[in-house]
Amino acid sequence: MTGPRRTIVLAFVPSALGREAARVARDQAALTGARVVVVNTTRADRLVDLRWADEQQVAEVVALLRRGGVAHEVRHAADDRLAAEVVLDVAAEVGAALIVIGVRRRSPVGKLVLGSTAQRILLDARCPVLAVPATPPDDALPR
Amino acid sequence: MDNLAALLDGFATVAQPQYLLYALFGVFVGTAVGVLPGIGPAMTIALLLPLTYSLDATAAIIVFAGIYYGGMYGGSTTSILLNTPGESASIVTALEGHKMARLGRGAAALATAAIGSFVAGTIATVALTFVAPVVARWAVQLGEPDYFALMVVAFVTVGALLGSSVSRGLAALALGLFLGLVGTDTLTGQQRFTFGVPSFADGVDVVVVAVGLFAVGEALHVGSRLRHGPVHLVPVERGWRSWMRREDWRRSWKPWLRGTAIGFPVGTIPAGGADVATFLSYATEKKLAGPHRAEFGKGAIEGVAGPESANNAAASGVLVPLLTLGLPTTATAAIIIVAFQSYGIQPGPLLFESQSSLVWALVASLYVGNLMLVVLNLPLVGMWVKVLQIPRHYLYAGILLFGALGSFALNFAPVDVLVLLGVGLLGFVMRRYGYPVAPLVVGMILGPMAEDRLRRSLAISQGDLTTLVASPFAATAYGVMALLLVAGLWLKRRERAAGAVTSGHSSDDTSGHSSDDASGHASDDVSGPASGSEQDAGHDPGSGTRPSHAATSEETNR
Amino acid sequence: MTTPTSVATSPDDGRTALAALRRRPGELVAALGVLALGIFVLVDTRTIVVPGSANTLGPRAFPYLVGALLVGAGITLLVGLARGRHGEEEGGEDVDASVPTDWRTVALLVAVFLAHVLTITTIGWPLAATLLFGGSAIVLGARPWWRALALGLVLAVTVQVVFGGLLGLSLPPGPLFESVAVFRG
Repeated sequence: MTGPRRTIVLAFVPSALGREAARVARDQAALTGARVVVVNTTRADRLVDLRWADEQQVAEVVALLRRGGVAHEVRHAADDRLAAEVVLDVAAEVGAALIVIGVRRRSPVGKLVLGSTAQRILLDARCPVLAVPATPPDDALPR
Repeated sequence: MDNLAALLDGFATVAQPQYLLYALFGVFVGTAVGVLPGIGPAMTIALLLPLTYSLDATAAIIVFAGIYYGGMYGGSTTSILLNTPGESASIVTALEGHKMARLGRGAAALATAAIGSFVAGTIATVALTFVAPVVARWAVQLGEPDYFALMVVAFVTVGALLGSSVSRGLAALALGLFLGLVGTDTLTGQQRFTFGVPSFADGVDVVVVAVGLFAVGEALHVGSRLRHGPVHLVPVERGWRSWMRREDWRRSWKPWLRGTAIGFPVGTIPAGGADVATFLSYATEKKLAGPHRAEFGKGAIEGVAGPESANNAAASGVLVPLLTLGLPTTATAAIIIVAFQSYGIQPGPLLFESQSSLVWALVASLYVGNLMLVVLNLPLVGMWVKVLQIPRHYLYAGILLFGALGSFALNFAPVDVLVLLGVGLLGFVMRRYGYPVAPLVVGMILGPMAEDRLRRSLAISQGDLTTLVASPFAATAYGVMALLLVAGLWLKRRERAAGAVTSGHSSDDTSGHSSDDASGHASDDVSGPASGSEQDAGHDPGSGTRPSHAATSEETNR
Repeated sequence: MTTPTSVATSPDDGRTALAALRRRPGELVAALGVLALGIFVLVDTRTIVVPGSANTLGPRAFPYLVGALLVGAGITLLVGLARGRHGEEEGGEDVDASVPTDWRTVALLVAVFLAHVLTITTIGWPLAATLLFGGSAIVLGARPWWRALALGLVLAVTVQVVFGGLLGLSLPPGPLFESVAVFRG
């Protein structure tokens, strides 16, 4: 295969919703022959960050993509920037054709305290964004 | 038997709906702060002292007792799930408890800790119910020199034992004594060390000092070295609700009782507080483990059951000298004395007579709080995990906000908030250079009382200094002090040795032995790239080298 | 900062101790501060007026004891430092002992706190508290900055309503909220 390959950026969170988003990204990549860049980050500003995947969770996503025969790359590191900024910067850097994110309903208070990564990505992305809805119930706790 | 009647009256008070709610609020807040590393019960009660401006004494004391007890429970939760003890008294729990959690036995560890805490807390409260009035009745007969002797014992033991270095502890104690001197001398009406500042004529407010040292000082200290390491992940298993097995019950009940038997007496003497009791219990359990001894260090349930019980029993034990003699032996106890004082109540032998209903309501609230905690603790683990997700910047900003609020609400004068900042900076410097803050608070609270007792003693004896050691009690007290010092320093050394072996933690406000286990733990747990070929490319985004697995999967893709 | 030349007792191990001290001069300053306070207490105690009718132990005796304790502790600390015995910094889960002290953050936090103290009476407690919460959160790394301020405002107004309105603490609402009834006790 020659020429520039399409790249899909997957904003990954270790939850049922995140795994659903990963499946969607895999299917999209398999259809178009694109490769997937999995992004998972934390600001490391709290003791427990449930949106930060551990090695096993990253390995599961990698296994999922590999089973689908999809080329992939993992960006898994602590970063002082906000998660949305990291995803958008990675998308710009790899010239992403598509960003896949999971979206779920948030309370106004939750939005005020934590902000909405998905909203920020949807509004600021320079490429199409595929929003994967939560199929309830979305378990917030990791397995 | 009047004690039981009085206790029943206490229960009648606590059973009123509004006091039950205050107790619930107390244990809830207490558990939350116990869960949060870096925020101990001393800081929390200091921050909530403004409640005393608007609540009645019984309600406030019930809230503070709940926080005091809840903190002990909460500390075990984080120890077990995250290996990060919220309290110095939970360090030992992390040793075996976290290992158990990693083996998928986290639920049993949490359960044995919670039930053990309940059993020990209840037995120790029963002991408190019967021991405290006896001590109080006996203490009424003590003379002025005896009281002075008791305070010297408290000064020396707290100064020398609550911290990593004896000279720093004594320096902190002397600082506290000095702050206690500022103001108007009660006996002669002379101003001392007021620097001509009118607001110092009434002395430096001990609430401002407590909040400044424990809240503002801690926030500044955290700000100076904010942790930015990789985060811990919670290994909560889905089946955490699963109960203890029969085998676990069999192995737990003896350590629960032994922990109680060790914890309560250790708590009553000024020998370094609850963490000493937990280390003693751990050592005992290890010795008595018999066939299970090999499991120690790998997740022995006895190593969770014993120390957690000792921890809670010691918490009750601390209340004995606090309520009967007015002697605080830990930082949290000192802050509780401040709370009493803000109602004009002086803990001491007369407390059981003059404030009988308040004291017995407090004791009754301990029984009730214990029950609430064991019921609340296990089902709410998921919620405590949420508490751990609060970002540090909001947490410490909130601590500063409530600290400033409490000082401002004293007199509604901004100058008090300015003094708060000054004390906060002092607290920061002390933390930064290893001076324990607890002796300062104890010195500031007990200093004026000790001076009073000393001057009265010598007035009675007309200047004869031998009066200070003349009574058998005072002489014994000084003798016991020497023993406590030797034993306490020996225990500290053992504790530190144990801490070094197991890369012990440091923690809230009392102990200074610190190490950096958290980042080490994190790196073997979550951080770092996924193993082997799953190497992430996030570190050099611009480079042309693609991770090997990407290349291989591209081949498979073809 | 003070140069640590005055402390060297024995030249041999004094040298390494001095080198260590030069790296952490603050510790020396703290110990000297304890000593200086002790000397001040001893000197200032002489100015305390003793009424003629004083009983055996007047208002000066205890301060002398405290001053002596401070001086004693200060000297012990200095001797310990000269022998290379350093304080163990207080640990904590949110404290990273491996990073250098971030004095800039401490200074900014103090500045934000001072701003809060100075503005309570002019702009009222809710806004001053917003400034304190938002400012310190931003200094400690909150992003984006407007979210920290918005959260601070929500928190401050809640506290004002609960403590000022319901519990009856007379927190000054300030000109902006002066007319809002729930903000006053």
